[in-house]
Amino acid sequence: MIKLENVTKKYVMGDNIVMALNGIDIHINEGEFVAIVGPSGSGKSTLMNIIGCLDVVTGGYYELNQIPIQDYDKDELADIRNQQIGFVFQQFNLLNNFSALENVMMPMTYAKVSKKEREERAHTLLSLVGLSDRTEHKPTELSGGQQQRVSIARALANNPAIILADEPTGALDSTTGIEVLNQLKKLNQDGKTVIIITHDPDVAQTTNRVITLKDGCVVSDERRQDYD
Amino acid sequence: MIKEYFAIAFRSVLAHKIRALLTTLGVIIGVASVILLMSLGNSAREEAANQIRGIGSNLIFVNITDRQGNLPNDWLDNIQEAALIKDYSQLISSSAVYVVEGQDVNVSISGVNDKYASINSLDMSLGRFLSEYDLEYDTPVVVVGSKIPSLLFPNQEIIGNTMIIKGMPFTVVGVAEERGTNFSGDNDMMVYIPIRYAARMSGFSSINKTFYIEANSEDNVDFTLNRVLTYLESIMPSTSSYRAFSQTQILGVLDTLMSLLTTLLSGIASISLIVGGIGIMNIMLVTVRERTKEIGIRKALGARQSQILAQFLIEAIIITTLGGGLGLLVSYLGTLLITFLTDFNVLLGLDAVMLSLVFSLTIGVIFGIYPAYTASKLEPVEALRFE
Repeated sequence: MIKLENVTKKYVMGDNIVMALNGIDIHINEGEFVAIVGPSGSGKSTLMNIIGCLDVVTGGYYELNQIPIQDYDKDELADIRNQQIGFVFQQFNLLNNFSALENVMMPMTYAKVSKKEREERAHTLLSLVGLSDRTEHKPTELSGGQQQRVSIARALANNPAIILADEPTGALDSTTGIEVLNQLKKLNQDGKTVIIITHDPDVAQTTNRVITLKDGCVVSDERRQDYD
Repeated sequence: MIKEYFAIAFRSVLAHKIRALLTTLGVIIGVASVILLMSLGNSAREEAANQIRGIGSNLIFVNITDRQGNLPNDWLDNIQEAALIKDYSQLISSSAVYVVEGQDVNVSISGVNDKYASINSLDMSLGRFLSEYDLEYDTPVVVVGSKIPSLLFPNQEIIGNTMIIKGMPFTVVGVAEERGTNFSGDNDMMVYIPIRYAARMSGFSSINKTFYIEANSEDNVDFTLNRVLTYLESIMPSTSSYRAFSQTQILGVLDTLMSLLTTLLSGIASISLIVGGIGIMNIMLVTVRERTKEIGIRKALGARQSQILAQFLIEAIIITTLGGGLGLLVSYLGTLLITFLTDFNVLLGLDAVMLSLVFSLTIGVIFGIYPAYTASKLEPVEALRFE
């Protein structure tokens, strides 16, 4: 479902050329639960931006659902992000002026789902993450863990096949972090492809495949056989 | 979808009420001044036209500016029939100063004939105008303007009273209705005496200089004027030594002048609208920068460029239309105030209202498009990184 072949990403900063990604080959199949780990500067955020269609490759080939991404224009990329990928960010990235419910409804607005259906679905998703009593709260009135659960609900809004989580536990204490990871694990068990980007080995251990990056290259790709 | 954009835009306008109000201030002032000036101009035109029409639209005014080339005393009698003249009156003028309670009061004195009142549509509020008899027998009688009784004869019976004019006693026989001020001065401070009597007194302008002529119908005014002009041309040494024009011509000139003035003033006022628009663009650019993160989030979650563009453009349009509406309200209150403070009746013209709304909408689009475009072109990765 995700196929990266010899992907490079080059940034020009003044006179310096930085190779953020330097020949990445990764295949991820449908239903996998993958952690992409590496120290800071290893290129994992760049990789997540490319997988999430937020950024484009400098060289190489990226195919999502059998379709090469370079064939798409900006609006089509926006549609892919809207329909096929659910984002979970480290800093939650919720809109503070809007209620939890409205935040979850937002991706559906861009998918032109009717208002009634949006509301129903947002209610369902918020109760799925255990926040049915917090639908009218603004993000600032919610705890970090609750905010991250709102953003998981938002990621599921258009029922995407892929969940892309960038340091989802980075801003949370360990207890709520485990809750969030369990939620992601449950999504994987329900059939979603879940990709977590993290620098934390403990987080990586909850997944069944760990891809390690260093200096823009894949240095290891291990599948855990004992994963339940 | 449009409904959602409006909802989102209203939310962000409401989130910054004071800022939105201050931003719209430029548009409010601009729209209010354009509407107010347009309405004032139109009302002034209407007022002037009414005043002139009140004097009589059949009226032709002749003024001899130099004495070379003698006009025969009876020149109008000679052309009266051929030129379709109904009536005419000559006018000679002077003025006198009366001292009332230590204050100088200036009174204009006009020597006219008995036809003058009907030619000029001058109505009486008391008594009568000069009569044919008064003219024939040179009776020392006077008709006074509406302000004279209270100024010179306070608490006195006015009809039958004696008014001293340049040392001569005149019996007051009538009081004219209030007329206001026009190009011939303050009509209410004027007194009228028989012309031949006036001509014998000292200090009057010379005779055969100023004439008021009434055409026998409104349709014949131009014909009459042409005949009069032809005659004057034949007898006067040059065309620069006389002037003759009809009331309709004055009305036309005045109307052109007033609309020019109105357009000019509205044009100046609309500069403030443009300044207001620039203010809006400025704030929208700040807003876009402030909300870069929000734009990043929306784009990451699937907003297309056109959707971000629409969101911010609608926000700008809401702000300017709000300004337009408030400006309309302000100008409405302004017209009420002017009508209340002066006796000038100002009406808010429908054209002004429509124009201002179209204006504020257009300003919103013109000055909102650039910030909105900037927002729509942000790269999602860059925008998300913004704190």
